[in-house]
Amino acid sequence: MIWLTLGLMAIIVFISRYLFLAPKLPLKLNKNTQHFLSYAAPAVLTAIIAPLIFVKDHTLYLSIYNNYLIGAIIACLLAYFTRNTLLTVLVSMGIFFFVL
Amino acid sequence: MLPLCIAVIPWGILAGSYAIEIGLTSLESQAMSAIVFAGAAQLVALGMIKAGIGLTSILLTTLLITSRHLLYSMAFRQYISPLSLRWRLALGFLLTDELFAIATTHKAKNADLDPQHKFDKWYALGGGLSFYVFWNIATLIGIIAGQTIPNMDELGLDFAIASTFIALIIPMIKAPSILICVVVSLVGAIICGLLNIEAGLLIAALIGMACGALYAKITGETP
Repeated sequence: MIWLTLGLMAIIVFISRYLFLAPKLPLKLNKNTQHFLSYAAPAVLTAIIAPLIFVKDHTLYLSIYNNYLIGAIIACLLAYFTRNTLLTVLVSMGIFFFVL
Repeated sequence: MLPLCIAVIPWGILAGSYAIEIGLTSLESQAMSAIVFAGAAQLVALGMIKAGIGLTSILLTTLLITSRHLLYSMAFRQYISPLSLRWRLALGFLLTDELFAIATTHKAKNADLDPQHKFDKWYALGGGLSFYVFWNIATLIGIIAGQTIPNMDELGLDFAIASTFIALIIPMIKAPSILICVVVSLVGAIICGLLNIEAGLLIAALIGMACGALYAKITGETP
């Protein structure tokens, strides 16, 4: 049962990644669509992490005791002022795991 | 590329240890990372297996979580679809959030220097393979650690993903329309999270993208 689940999940994930890369698929993207899609990276990445940082047990968790929120604010400041991805990741994870 | 490899480690350890904790064998746990290769989908599916939820629900949820990759493949269609089958299959399999993010950023950097130079397939392949290797090694570490250390899912290893994505998103905000896109996606995803809407990720991202694109159109912002 686990193997069946894994196999089917792998197929679903692969199809979602490959579908629009297939040249046989009759699809022409116009300029407006291309422009719209250029926002995909910031939009999706933000939507993935927002609930992790702000939501706990289906309630808004705005508190100084919310380690994820404090860690995220530190990461934002580091990313903004240093513009260094490696430093941002290492320092914010270090603070999160060892200080907070 | 290196910061993302590092960030993949805690996230992979979490995937491996959590799989062990809910009762998968070591081989199944490793195979999950090797063939599915999708962090968020793996963790959610594991939670559902633990809760005894049926296969159909697990697959539908996987579909919802993974549907964001449709946006990625659509955005890269113009660069990858003309390539050979071998390249398409490889880059398709490796097309994760991380790969999409670094390839987008790399493309933007190159376009500043040379508008003709848009998408570097070798850079994408190198990045994708690095993430794959790190993801699977981290999973292995998680499998080993998960057999001795209980409740590793409560250590906050998932903060790695928040920290990395923030480090990627902040430098992407180069125009007011992108800031609007990020803020709307953020608020939308929080609201969907509070309302427990399963497709929240996709809904929030699409609304954010639409607001950003609309703002750019109205104000005549140059992309």
